[in-house]
Amino acid sequence: MTAQAAPTHRSLYRLDTRTKRRNAAEKRFRLYGLAAVGFGVLALVVLLSSVLAQGVGAFRQTFVVMDVMLDEGVLDKSGTRDPEVMKKVTTIGYGKLLQTSLNAELAEKGFAVEGMSAKDVGALISKEAPAQLRDRVLADPDLVGQTIRFKAYANGRIDGYFKGRVSLQSAELDSNVTPEQLRLADTLRAAGIMELSFNPGFIFGPDASELRPEAAGLGVAILGSAYMMLIVLALALPLGVATSIYLEEFAPRNKWTDLIEVNIANLAAVPSIVFGILGLAVFINFAGLPQSSPLVGGLVLTLMTLPTIIIATRAALKAVPPSIKDAALGIGASKMQTVFHHVLPLAMPGILTGTIIGLAQALGETAPLLLIGMVAFVREYPAAPPEGFGDPAAALPVQVYNFTQRADPAFIERASGAIIVLMVFLLAMNLLAIILRRRFERRW
Amino acid sequence: MNDMTLTERAVQASDIKIEARGVQVHYGASHALRDVDVDILGKTVTAFIGPSGCGKSTFLRCLNRMNDTIDICRVGGKILLDGEDIYDRKVDPVQLRAKVGMVFQKPNPFPKSIFDNVAYGPKIHGLTRSRSELEGIVEDSLRKAALWNEVKDRLDAPGTGLSGGQQQRLCIARAIATSPEVLLMDEPCSALDPIATAQVEELIDELRANFSVVIVTHSMQQAARVSQRTAFFHLGSLVEYGETGQIFTNPSDPRTESYITGRIG
Amino acid sequence: MTPGLLALLVLAIAAAGFVIGRKRALSAASGDSRSLHSLPGYYGQSVALFAAVPALVFLAGWLVLQPLLIDMRVGATITPADIPQGSSQSLVMSDVRRIADGLDVLAARGAPDTASLDPATLRSRLAEAGIALGNDVKPAIFDAATDYRARAAKGRLAMTVAVIALSAAGFAYAFSRITPAFRARNVVERFIKALLIGASSVAILTTLGIVLSLVFETTHFFRLYPAREFFLSLTWNPQFRGGSDLGIWPLLWGTLYVSFIALLVAVPVGIFAAIYLAEYAGRKTRATAKPLLEILAGIPTIVYGLFALITVGPMLRDYLAQPLGLGSSSSSVMTAGLVMGIMLIPFVSSLSDDIINAVPQAMRDGSYGLGATQSETVRQVILPAALPGIVGAVLLAASRAIGETMIVVMGAGAAAKMDLNPFEAMTTVTVKIVSQLTGDTEFASPETLVAFALGLTLFVFTLGLNILALYIVRKYREQYE
Repeated sequence: MTAQAAPTHRSLYRLDTRTKRRNAAEKRFRLYGLAAVGFGVLALVVLLSSVLAQGVGAFRQTFVVMDVMLDEGVLDKSGTRDPEVMKKVTTIGYGKLLQTSLNAELAEKGFAVEGMSAKDVGALISKEAPAQLRDRVLADPDLVGQTIRFKAYANGRIDGYFKGRVSLQSAELDSNVTPEQLRLADTLRAAGIMELSFNPGFIFGPDASELRPEAAGLGVAILGSAYMMLIVLALALPLGVATSIYLEEFAPRNKWTDLIEVNIANLAAVPSIVFGILGLAVFINFAGLPQSSPLVGGLVLTLMTLPTIIIATRAALKAVPPSIKDAALGIGASKMQTVFHHVLPLAMPGILTGTIIGLAQALGETAPLLLIGMVAFVREYPAAPPEGFGDPAAALPVQVYNFTQRADPAFIERASGAIIVLMVFLLAMNLLAIILRRRFERRW
Repeated sequence: MNDMTLTERAVQASDIKIEARGVQVHYGASHALRDVDVDILGKTVTAFIGPSGCGKSTFLRCLNRMNDTIDICRVGGKILLDGEDIYDRKVDPVQLRAKVGMVFQKPNPFPKSIFDNVAYGPKIHGLTRSRSELEGIVEDSLRKAALWNEVKDRLDAPGTGLSGGQQQRLCIARAIATSPEVLLMDEPCSALDPIATAQVEELIDELRANFSVVIVTHSMQQAARVSQRTAFFHLGSLVEYGETGQIFTNPSDPRTESYITGRIG
Repeated sequence: MTPGLLALLVLAIAAAGFVIGRKRALSAASGDSRSLHSLPGYYGQSVALFAAVPALVFLAGWLVLQPLLIDMRVGATITPADIPQGSSQSLVMSDVRRIADGLDVLAARGAPDTASLDPATLRSRLAEAGIALGNDVKPAIFDAATDYRARAAKGRLAMTVAVIALSAAGFAYAFSRITPAFRARNVVERFIKALLIGASSVAILTTLGIVLSLVFETTHFFRLYPAREFFLSLTWNPQFRGGSDLGIWPLLWGTLYVSFIALLVAVPVGIFAAIYLAEYAGRKTRATAKPLLEILAGIPTIVYGLFALITVGPMLRDYLAQPLGLGSSSSSVMTAGLVMGIMLIPFVSSLSDDIINAVPQAMRDGSYGLGATQSETVRQVILPAALPGIVGAVLLAASRAIGETMIVVMGAGAAAKMDLNPFEAMTTVTVKIVSQLTGDTEFASPETLVAFALGLTLFVFTLGLNILALYIVRKYREQYE
């Protein structure tokens, strides 16, 4: 079949072997492509579902619901109801109160607790619960003397038992919980004293110590992230828009402009951790701004977000047709008026879309925040802005990292739950960007 | 070799190479070509002429199923190559295109060396068993395309570095390297200057010795110069088809006449 | 006055300036705005801008400079005798600052006279206020702290006065210029243009800040630790008590190994996905699959890190590493590399997709016209034509991989070693930057400062890759334009 000059007639209807082989190769190649797309999509699905599966549990928590008699003899011996005086009673006092209440509740309902001391029974309740009860009483001293319905966190191991992390077998080896306690927990759940229910404390509460995963919440981290986003928005949007307007509309073609362009392109590609080093060296060590504050975090993230916003803004400005500029200039508007009255408003949807996407990136950024001290354990909510911008705070993604660094496996659930919260925010922001784009997209 | 004797402009119905009957082409909702019946003869140059958008290129692209690469294009009717329906389900367009080669409007050499450009077709179709055989085909094709003398010292240079006319001849060499039976040319000279055009036209005339050539052209002079038979398309229909001399001197359809005399543009 | 309040005050002055300036312009034209050179609003704006901008810039500058100056002055009062063994001037100064802050807190809580406090009991009093000190307060340090407070208070007062004065002066200057003939619009526009230029130099300042801070601290590091050792030593073994080995090679090895595996996943998958989406997929598949893949690029790296930590790591360990006897660590080069590879898929695929689409249709037609199948066309015509662009995309992905932090922090481990087994835990440059800068070691020690040298290496590396990639991609684009 070499035959350049030998047209031995071959029918089109019969595929020769070579064509068959080539078609098989074609099919294989196509399959590789499909497999590659499939792999990517599958990875996405597995990634999201694994986080989701691990994390949804964090939104539900085991509570112990019981009546607590707030005994005046224990909580306010002076009888003055003065919070300053009542502060003398520490959480230990409240802890005893809770322990007694739970034991009393059990006795009242007639549950036998053979082989377990009152203390063992009391250990079903989280060590965080006394502090919460104390806060509640100090906030409202008149509660003393009354019997209130109190919903206390159950111990993290008990919670883990109901969520399948802890079993009777593993409890044998665990110094923090005994199989008897777990069996009692089963009984209590059946009796309605213990229940699994939605836990607002996970979203709004502050972080808790390593030993109390049940009480750890994201409140401070969400607030810290929100503060940083405010700073990024307030700085990156005007700076980015101003830079873009200058480069797109006013900048002469010269070395300086080239230098700015090259810088922006490079900043977009600098690893995020280098921005963290910058923040540490310049904002904290040189300028003396407070460590782990949303202010420094916001500044670092602003610098990281700027290139994204600038690129989006310039694209939006470019998309405004020159005819509109010509029209404005033609009736005697100055260049500045043309830009601010005509070009900018028309480019605004594009700018906002780019900004939201930049903010979403900044919201998920972790590495630079580690370096500026946001890994610190922070329980206090930062104050209201602007003072609060200088207070120590956590950030949502860093909180995830913090959770994963702790020993108790219950924190893995918390970390995944925190990611769900983070992803919900990201999803909302991206949806907003898409809606903005759809709603205002204009084609000339 | 077919030992039939060939006389200028006198061909019998027996060596019909391609027989098209009732060809319809739709692009999405628009009906681009309706009821075209054409017989393309072997070892003849057939020209398709007509105003822009008349469907002549579309019809050309039907002949080697290049329209398959356009999603929204549907082709109806029958096109037979040597009596076999090329739109039959058993036919692989890949095999078909090896028999019906194509040269495009704009020279489109691959970003490869001159040698690799010409060797591409023989390689993918497995036409050669050794390097020397391949080199033989490449030289032969370049000679047939009248390019050999200009490029024989720089076969490793990129094909994109040649001049426009050379690029187009390279594309013709590339197309004939697979030894097709029919060569389709879609306005092969429209991107070339007059000198390069003259070279390509000369080449087309020589190719007639080995191939059946179908050429779409805008230029009536070109059609008159190179073709033996001419088809005139207008608004998606075939208006008139016959010997070139007869079409240009004595058209039977008034529309053909108007076009030739310049009244339809 | 706090800086925030001061800034608000300046803005208030500016707002008043706008109203007053506008009114003044109108009254100067006796109510007929047509006889003014510019619209009345521009007169207002000129006053507002002159009142606000110089004062705010001055305020920002002062806020940066004041602590530096006070540190210098107060630092000069601390004699070497006051610096404890094993400490340094800068540590003592940070103590001074912390005590000064503590005194502020105590003062805010109503302590009668902070200067008369006894240094001996100060530590416990401060501890009550939530400020922990490493050791008892020496009298000299206490004096320095009170001095610090005094200077800070003085500085703050001076700042308040100066900023308000500057704002008022700007106001007065702009106000005095208002006449009907005053070209307010031109002045305002020139002012705004200057602001625009200022904003666009932020990018340059940022790069400058990055380079300066890295270079400065790196030279500092090389004064404490020989550069030769850093670049040539094959061991990484930081010690708290000095005598550390800080060779970069184990970290570079880990970085390159992880990146290599990541690219091994991302490049074939990304390119094949791009080919499929560009050449084969129907419109519907493309419209769903492309955004889905791009979601992968929008997911924060911390999520990938967690994925590596809780899902991929244990899975690889249980189903591959342990049965094959290759290791028992869930964090490994493989874990981090695989997860990072997934993250990089969209980087490779969307850029390659653009590049493949940029190959002219005429190339495809030419190949199909010769009877090539689609895959032959892709492999022998499109990919070679798109190759430079795809190489650029891969280089960009490589630079991402090298600079990526969270995935390796959570997935690769912390052990600095040079091993070939991909199921061993190894560590990377970025991991060590994080661990050296978040640890408890003293800032001025080589163990901490090495992070800056690592950061500089990383910066140079990624910058080189990016510039190369952008250059290649740009060259490629020119080819088809």
